[in-house]
Amino acid sequence: MLTVCHLYPDLLNLYGDRGNVLAFVARCRWRGIPVRVLEVGLGDPVDFGEVDFVFLGGGSDREQDIMARDLLARRDDLAAAVEEGLVVLAICGGYQLLGRYYRAADGTLIPGLGLLDFHTRAGKKRLIGNVAVEVDLDGWRVTLCGFENHAGRTYLGDLAPLGRVLAGHGNNGEDGTEGARYKNVFCSYLHGPLLPKNPALTDHLIRLALRRRGLPEELEPLDDTLEREAVRVMLRRLKVRTG
Amino acid sequence: MRRLRLLLAVVVARVAAFLARLAGHRGSSLPGMVALRLCPQAPAWLARDIRGHRVIVTGTNGKTTTSNMLRTILTEAGYRVVANREGANLITGVATCLLRAAGWRGRLDHDHAVLEADEAAFPSIAAAVRPSVVVVTNFFRDQLDRYGELDRTVQLIRDALLGLEDVTLVLNADDPLVAQLARLTGHPAVFYGLAPVKGHRTGQVREARYCPLCRAPLGYDGYVYGQLGHYRCACGFTRPRADFEGLPEHGGTGALTVCHPGGRLQLTPGTTGFYNTYNALAAFAAARVLDVPVEVIQKALAAYRPATGRMEEFRYGSKKVILNLVKNPAGFNESLAALLETRGTKDVFIAINDLVADGRDVSWLWDVDFEVLAAHDDCRRFVCAGRRGADMAVRLKYAGVPVDRIGVAPSLQIGIRATLAGDGEVAFFLATYTALWPVERLLRRELRGDRVRAHRMPSVS
Repeated sequence: MLTVCHLYPDLLNLYGDRGNVLAFVARCRWRGIPVRVLEVGLGDPVDFGEVDFVFLGGGSDREQDIMARDLLARRDDLAAAVEEGLVVLAICGGYQLLGRYYRAADGTLIPGLGLLDFHTRAGKKRLIGNVAVEVDLDGWRVTLCGFENHAGRTYLGDLAPLGRVLAGHGNNGEDGTEGARYKNVFCSYLHGPLLPKNPALTDHLIRLALRRRGLPEELEPLDDTLEREAVRVMLRRLKVRTG
Repeated sequence: MRRLRLLLAVVVARVAAFLARLAGHRGSSLPGMVALRLCPQAPAWLARDIRGHRVIVTGTNGKTTTSNMLRTILTEAGYRVVANREGANLITGVATCLLRAAGWRGRLDHDHAVLEADEAAFPSIAAAVRPSVVVVTNFFRDQLDRYGELDRTVQLIRDALLGLEDVTLVLNADDPLVAQLARLTGHPAVFYGLAPVKGHRTGQVREARYCPLCRAPLGYDGYVYGQLGHYRCACGFTRPRADFEGLPEHGGTGALTVCHPGGRLQLTPGTTGFYNTYNALAAFAAARVLDVPVEVIQKALAAYRPATGRMEEFRYGSKKVILNLVKNPAGFNESLAALLETRGTKDVFIAINDLVADGRDVSWLWDVDFEVLAAHDDCRRFVCAGRRGADMAVRLKYAGVPVDRIGVAPSLQIGIRATLAGDGEVAFFLATYTALWPVERLLRRELRGDRVRAHRMPSVS
């Protein structure tokens, strides 16, 4: 039985990010892997040691602020679980929150959880549009597609990016990186949502979760014709060639 | 000098409209765009000619229907009304309609104006037109990449309202994001809302579950839809008492009882769905602010018929064909509810585009509860089309719709033909904004020969 922890589903419900949880769960169930979802709200108890996959999305500024305070109280538990291999996907606002800080447009420093070595600064213009990113998943080169919409510019410290930008802006529109990776934590600015349209990444996360539990990680292949078609349409539009 | 500029703008707008029509466009925005270049003050100058009220209707859902209903009521009351139609709701669309109505002399001879304003365009339209009445329907998530987040939209409208004088607000009491505008702006307000309905379903999309004023979680004594309902907060912010309160009849007929300051009466609008109940109440309240007798309102709403692509109904042989616009999660959920309520086996066509007017980010499809379709055997087939048809297909797959029922059409035309050729008793067409007009045109072409009886039905949105 895998346990998925959806953090603040009521609060962070922008941009259809709940689709990431739907995709993770569906692709487990289609293969007969039992899975359950814990919806964790403000103040609800959760033991990250018992959880296999955590999803953290983004919200509007108001909601982001409320969730940051709640998550800060759980920081040490989360950090310990991350160190021993907890699989995490954090998108957009959720991504920014895992870093060291966010410097707002007026100069205010909003502290993050500091789980990963990066920081974010507010930019003048929002970075908006379709994105293609090349990532390496266990030696497989995969092109991910999604949609970014963020004012923050993220700069990585001693940390690997999720991938290389083929089209779009990515972390900051300057250095060609998108997202961040640390142990089994995956961060990205990509909405779309990310997992449904990019099943290779979803399956990678499922495999990592199974591996951490010492379960067989061999996944039965699924028919991904529709997903591949959706990505193909976008890559063609973005004029991105894949090998 | 001023008249000269205005007259020049009128001439240019007329020529632009003529050329646009010649090129096959509807010309509902372009003439205004050109004229505004020459004479940016044209809408402001023209609006001063209006003898009575200048009403602006804004909000996420229900703008078009509410303004159309209000225009119908005022026309029924014998007034000459100028109004922008067909969702031409940016400053260019407003300029176009005022210039067109002004005629060659560059003067308006109208009693009232009813103008629908896109939320992002509200500040510029309000600054030009100086409305005496502003109707705000609701605030839902809509095309975020254009507006930024919902909070910003609300702020934008609040700030624009603060810049107005002598204005009466007509507000949806059930939406905390809308109702707070009375307190935030200090303008006199008239509220409309629904009496609590026990056991009504609640949607997934709840924008403001937190008090917009103090941020504490809101308590609800009853939900209507999304964040709409009878809410209250410990800080004292509660749903205001509605001056116009609707009690919908059982069975989803669209009929309702309205309690208003002068008494109560039965309303039977020619539309169904919760949104339209709200739209009818909003139009009712605004018309009362303009002193239209209740009997006139009652009569006009009973005769009201929805506009293009608002649950528009056609026949194709023995098949019932329905076309509806979808533009955001809340509206899409309402469309799905209407689809499930329609009897008979169905072929469903969904066209999703991602141009600016549709919202460039299609991730909002994941905030729609397509899961309700998974167990619905009446839906025989789903044909997905448009620029992002494949994304729609993926969404249906993860909602639990069997993959062998999902197809992606390479073009709108092929998709429409395949849907009409299906063996379902009903063909249901859903399209986003920029797909709506092409789908309607292609659909009519297919239906031609087969006698088109454009018997129209309930509107959603």
